[in-house]
Amino acid sequence: MANVLINGLKERISNALSINQSIGILIPGNTYSDLTQAIFERFISKPEEAWVYVTVTKPYETLAKQYEFINECINVKFIDCISRVSGLSKPYNNVTFIESPTMLEKLSLEIMNNFKQVGECTKKFLVIDSLTNFIIYNDPEIITEFFYQIINRTRARDIHTISIAIEEKDIENYLNRLIYLHDKILKIKDSFI
Amino acid sequence: MTEIELQNNEICVTGIEELDIMLGGGIPTGSTVLVVGSSGSGKTTLCMQYLINGAHRGERGVYFTITEPLFKFTKNMEGFNFYDKNLIESGMVNLIDLRIISERLGLNTEKYTVEDASALLDILRDIADELNVKRLIIDSITALCYRLQTPEMIRDFIFKLGSSLAAMKCTTLLTSEVPPRKFQYSQYGIEEFISDGILFLGDIERKGDLIRTFQIIKMRGAAHSRTKSAMSISTDNGVELTPLLKSRE
Repeated sequence: MANVLINGLKERISNALSINQSIGILIPGNTYSDLTQAIFERFISKPEEAWVYVTVTKPYETLAKQYEFINECINVKFIDCISRVSGLSKPYNNVTFIESPTMLEKLSLEIMNNFKQVGECTKKFLVIDSLTNFIIYNDPEIITEFFYQIINRTRARDIHTISIAIEEKDIENYLNRLIYLHDKILKIKDSFI
Repeated sequence: MTEIELQNNEICVTGIEELDIMLGGGIPTGSTVLVVGSSGSGKTTLCMQYLINGAHRGERGVYFTITEPLFKFTKNMEGFNFYDKNLIESGMVNLIDLRIISERLGLNTEKYTVEDASALLDILRDIADELNVKRLIIDSITALCYRLQTPEMIRDFIFKLGSSLAAMKCTTLLTSEVPPRKFQYSQYGIEEFISDGILFLGDIERKGDLIRTFQIIKMRGAAHSRTKSAMSISTDNGVELTPLLKSRE
């Protein structure tokens, strides 16, 4: 069943990205791992693409333990906003660490700096994992402002953005406001996609 | 020379991309600019990056420090990717410890008299002339003035310094130390009056974390931005600026 879900997610993401600049994915918490796996498998299957993966949900160390293959992916750079505030300090070559998820301007600079190193003709993708966790560490208003800035900057540089929002009752309104800034919204249900 | 070349000639490009955009191209050549900030705000890094970027453009520079020994200064700078030892060795960037100059002049390095300050100014001007520098840094004007004994001496020294700098054809950055979280430009309240420009390095607190900020307060002769930016300092890229998110809790 998990494979069906992951393959279904991969297909939907791929289709959405082929015609949209940015996509927002709204998922229930229990589907989160399947979604990240679907995205990570895309890294491997498309080595010609350049990806920047921003994690606020899980430290890179945890992701690398869970999906060992991501250490070998040379077409993806991680920006980890959560390790330092969690007291983790192990360095990795393919990871830029941001001291705190509140340092949004620094994050914005690092995202764009990572893409500066990528050739003009290479397809570029940014993943934000996740809007929900950004809101835990920041006020929703500043996340909205940050997100507007990122969407505008990435659009101007022809970078596709994928934002993950994990459903959370208390911040539903904010998440909806952010998710609707994308060109396409994918809502994943518990039972099936 | 075309009009564009003439215009470019009159602008001193800092080489810090976002800063040049904010300045409308760069600092008007020959300006004296106060770089204001509290301890650890990034004044020295910004100044050194400006000097190194200038040297890469063929503009010789000199860095006068009075705040820390040169071995410590260079050790700190070596961590930055922009730091280029070859530029120091080739004499395109000159690092000079003013305390050593003072000692050689037989001055008391802790307290200056009017004559001492005047002699030091002459030496400073001679070095700049001899090396034919286009970019000059004094780090810091606060520490220099601290060695003068009365407010009158400080006032007199600062105005003399202003006249000397105006006579030199180089673009000068003077660092000015201020207490943290205070919106003041200088320790003695006079430094800003001899300056053509003021760059203010500060910080804001967000959820307990400090975000570095940068703002151009004034820059004579330039249609500059007045917005507050966030400033980042990294070993990879040195000083970088990006728009500050304005929403506050």
